[in-house]
Amino acid sequence: MDNNEFLTEWGLTLMVFLPLAGALLLMVIPKAQEQMIKVAALGAALASGAVGVAVLANFNYDSSEKLQFVVNRNWIEAIHANYIVGIDGLSVPLIALTLLITPLVMVYSWNHFPQPHNPQAFLILMLVLATGMLGTFVAQDLILFFVFFEVVLLPMYFMIGVWGGEQRQYASIKFFLYTLFGSALMIVSFLALFFVAGGDSFSMVDLAQGVADRNAAGNLAMITQVLIFGGMFMGFGIKVPMFPFHTWLPDAHTQAPTAGSVILAAVLLKLGTYGFIRVALFILPEAAVKWAPYIGALAVIGIIYGALGCLAQTDMKRLIAFSSVAHMGFVMLGIASLTTFGLNAAVFGMVAHGLITGMLFFLAGSVKDRFHTLEIKRLGGLLLQAPKLGWILGFCIMASLGLPGLAGFWGEFPAILSAYNPAPALSQELFRTYMVIAAFGTVLAAGYLLWLFQRTAFGTPSEEFADVEIEDVRVSEWIAWVPLLALILVLGVFPNIIFHVTDPFLTVMGNTFAGLK
Amino acid sequence: MSDFLRDYLTVGIFGLTGVALVGLLLGLGSLLRPTRPQPQKYINYESGVDPVGTGWGQSNVRYYIFALLFVMFDVEAVFIFPFATRVDAYGWFGLIEMGIFIVVLALGLLYAWKKKVLRWV
Amino acid sequence: MFAFLLQSVASTFDRPAIDLHALAPEFVLTGALVVVLLVDLFTPKGSRGIVPSVAGIGILAAMVPVLTLALDGADRSMFGGAYVVDNFSLVLQAMFLLAAYVVVLLSTNYVAEGDYAEGEYYFLLLCALLGMLVMASSRDLITMFVALELLSIPAYMLAGWRKRDRRGNEAGVKYYLMGVFASAVMLYGMSLLYGISGSTLFSDIALAVARGNGLGDTTPLITLGVVFVLIGFAFKVSAVPFHTWAPDTYEGAPTPVTAFLAVSSKAAGFVALLQLILIAFIGRDDVVGPLMWVLAALTMTVGNLIALRQTNIVRMLAYSGVAQAGFMLAPLAVVGSNSDGARSAVVTYLLIYAAMNLGAFAVVLIVARKTRSAEIASWGGLFEYAPGLTVLMTVFLFSLAGIPPLGGWLAKFVVFRALLSPDLTAGGVILAVVVGVNSVIALYYYANVARQMWMNPVPDGDRTPVRIPFSLAAAVTLSVVLTVAFGVSDLATHLGDLATFLPA
Repeated sequence: MDNNEFLTEWGLTLMVFLPLAGALLLMVIPKAQEQMIKVAALGAALASGAVGVAVLANFNYDSSEKLQFVVNRNWIEAIHANYIVGIDGLSVPLIALTLLITPLVMVYSWNHFPQPHNPQAFLILMLVLATGMLGTFVAQDLILFFVFFEVVLLPMYFMIGVWGGEQRQYASIKFFLYTLFGSALMIVSFLALFFVAGGDSFSMVDLAQGVADRNAAGNLAMITQVLIFGGMFMGFGIKVPMFPFHTWLPDAHTQAPTAGSVILAAVLLKLGTYGFIRVALFILPEAAVKWAPYIGALAVIGIIYGALGCLAQTDMKRLIAFSSVAHMGFVMLGIASLTTFGLNAAVFGMVAHGLITGMLFFLAGSVKDRFHTLEIKRLGGLLLQAPKLGWILGFCIMASLGLPGLAGFWGEFPAILSAYNPAPALSQELFRTYMVIAAFGTVLAAGYLLWLFQRTAFGTPSEEFADVEIEDVRVSEWIAWVPLLALILVLGVFPNIIFHVTDPFLTVMGNTFAGLK
Repeated sequence: MSDFLRDYLTVGIFGLTGVALVGLLLGLGSLLRPTRPQPQKYINYESGVDPVGTGWGQSNVRYYIFALLFVMFDVEAVFIFPFATRVDAYGWFGLIEMGIFIVVLALGLLYAWKKKVLRWV
Repeated sequence: MFAFLLQSVASTFDRPAIDLHALAPEFVLTGALVVVLLVDLFTPKGSRGIVPSVAGIGILAAMVPVLTLALDGADRSMFGGAYVVDNFSLVLQAMFLLAAYVVVLLSTNYVAEGDYAEGEYYFLLLCALLGMLVMASSRDLITMFVALELLSIPAYMLAGWRKRDRRGNEAGVKYYLMGVFASAVMLYGMSLLYGISGSTLFSDIALAVARGNGLGDTTPLITLGVVFVLIGFAFKVSAVPFHTWAPDTYEGAPTPVTAFLAVSSKAAGFVALLQLILIAFIGRDDVVGPLMWVLAALTMTVGNLIALRQTNIVRMLAYSGVAQAGFMLAPLAVVGSNSDGARSAVVTYLLIYAAMNLGAFAVVLIVARKTRSAEIASWGGLFEYAPGLTVLMTVFLFSLAGIPPLGGWLAKFVVFRALLSPDLTAGGVILAVVVGVNSVIALYYYANVARQMWMNPVPDGDRTPVRIPFSLAAAVTLSVVLTVAFGVSDLATHLGDLATFLPA
């Protein structure tokens, strides 16, 4: 039992801060020792992963609606912020995703770090990023959550700005300003919430209880709740990104180095949707009901807008970026339905999108590496020149457009279905309209994705690349991709792996909404 | 008339008397003296050297520093007089306080001396 | 009339009780500045480095009694309540001393390598510091005014220290004229307050100016007095529209002096504002609140918008300092409903601001030793030849921008908290949103410097590594440790909560 006690006390903390310790270690290794730097970075990521696996293995899946591995310590007493970490069924899949993606990205970058090279700085940023992402998923105190939520900004800013493409400076500052704008309003909301809920704790559970108590007593104005939710909506909505705030995403994705794009798509966007469920819906259910129709509307606009945007793109990476807008629209639609079913679909959608879009960005990076361009009309005949790469691309595109049997399906289809029967407090007609529009979006998705595949993989290589020797999938790429590809398939066949974990927690939440009028 | 205004009336009468007195003396002078205008009489310093240069002529900066030093120590010395009238009442406390005050002043003098301000080069 | 004066003198003399322990920080510092002067006089020319060491040791020595007083814990009040030692004064005196110590570290090489009068420089620096210490303890209009002049007059001279440089002259003269004008306005306000209350003690003034005390017909007079005194200090903290001296003065003054003005002198202004608003004018939040609301909103917005356009890093930091002053003024706008929170927020902000801003200036000094320029463009490619410095500067910049987990975010956070608690008021919420939007604007120009350092090529191709003198390295280390520690621990907020006033 000693072992378990240690894990309960320190497991999550170690998992979150080991990458940061690794980053500090990397700072003192001399710059010339590149091999050592890479090994140390990967070691830190894997160590964090190992602790994470141990924690997840000891997680009690039968009561996954309860917070487990909870640690509650004083932190900044003067502002009532505590160091509270813990995980439940909602955070487990996302933590697993983060733990998986970080080392894979490092392996992928192993021998070709983007210009201006400098693996030391790149890996330090990557490790800091990992700490920020993991921390966000385990934090159960709003201030702690906010700090981790913001910690990811800086490394990402530098990753895009230093290692990115032509327009990197513009893209990086745009990313930074948009996100910070959301956060600034969000922190005001958090504080307002703190005072509304009694003013003695930032713990999410306490806040939710405080709001529920005041609602039960009927002395909390709905307008206050709606406005507080609005601040959070700005913070999380920009991060997701939802429709009117999405413009940073295509630029950031297009300019970011491959590793950055993958992390951005796979994990960073999920911070927003996770925040919606964990913070906004959990603490302010009544305001969520008021907001849900608008969130749903923006979600379906995002689906259609993203799809149309994709059809207009000439750059492969930009196209994938726009497809992210559409896919996150499905996730948000699932959330907006406010039902257990929809929320489950949303969480599954997050994981699936992380795996699939992450993979697509990996592929885009590899194509860029070989052809030095991502312009769709200059590519073609990938299946002839690099058949393995081409088929993997095909597989991921199928997964992305939601082919049954692959992971994408279980995020998209139930999300649409959930809109058929939203929470009782919501207008059924409205959400059924959303459903129809979203279903139309899947058709568009199939259109642009298959069109992309056709133009890049089918046919014969364009003249300029006809005589160029194109290397097929490398070893480092195989190592990085196989786990993702396998998971896309496994989750497609056995979606219950995730639904089983997330369902208990989301059922509790769904029941709350079912009880609201 | 209120006392307040009466006080000011005194001031007013005093001022008027002053002005009248000056006017009276100057008027008397102009009536009595002979008037023989000559251009030389309108030059500054009727006798001696002709004025050269502009009105903004520079004087030696050392005068300025000496003047400044003098004013500083002179003004500070003002504090010593009222103290001296009541030495017995202030006792040792007052003596020590004034000692500190004078030491600080002396430091200033020492500073000026070491910086060669006191030497006329 | 003279007879009357003599008569009042002739009454029996009561020796004032002097608590030597309570005044020890001031005494030690006074001793230190005398020693600095003497050491400079009696060491041969060319033996540089002794005077700054003496000054530094003197400052640290003055820290000892501050700490013993803090451990002792008893509040002390002297001279009929005009001068006190309470938690507030101790926390801020410690901050002033530490900040001044860092400024001495920043100055050591700059002054020794330039053609400067070394002894006088440190002498004046310590004089100004003494004024700040007195400021933190003064609870009386006259004491406060003397403290203000004691810190301002040396600062005027220090600002114009580069006397052969035109911009140096401009810096000194502008600062002097504006400062004297502000003093005059303030004195007028003080005379009005004295006329109303018949006393210069804050506690008496508080009783006289508070609402509902029967002085109904003098309300416009009270308003005028309060507003004039506050405006006088608004000059000191460079609040818009009284900020116009700041950028020119900051640019023309020697950079260590700029750091001193931007941190210590500004903090002294806030210390005075806090004492006035929270002790003397506590009953007049109907006057103070709206005034501070407008000043804060204007200051942060205008400061930020002008900072966006700066190409010189010192000017940029100057305008960013103006904007930061706006953030610090914000809690004072809700002083009516949350006076304790406002005090704690401003003190916390001051502590964090001192650490991160001094750090930024330290890096500016180090880099300027190599680039010989203060243009932001000259910072291009710093990451290539000085990665460590780049990371440090990045820490300071993003801390100023308020990105967690660096100190600056906690500073912003306590401002938000003060504005929103305990009840959500429309004024507080709107100002909080203004603060939020402004911190996003501010990010742009801070990130702009980071962009130069990380993402642009070296403008002149000169990649020789930067040599960092020991004293500057020490200053940077101290600043960065504090900046990060303030962000992840409750050190600053705890001190902010601790810094309470002696109950009147």
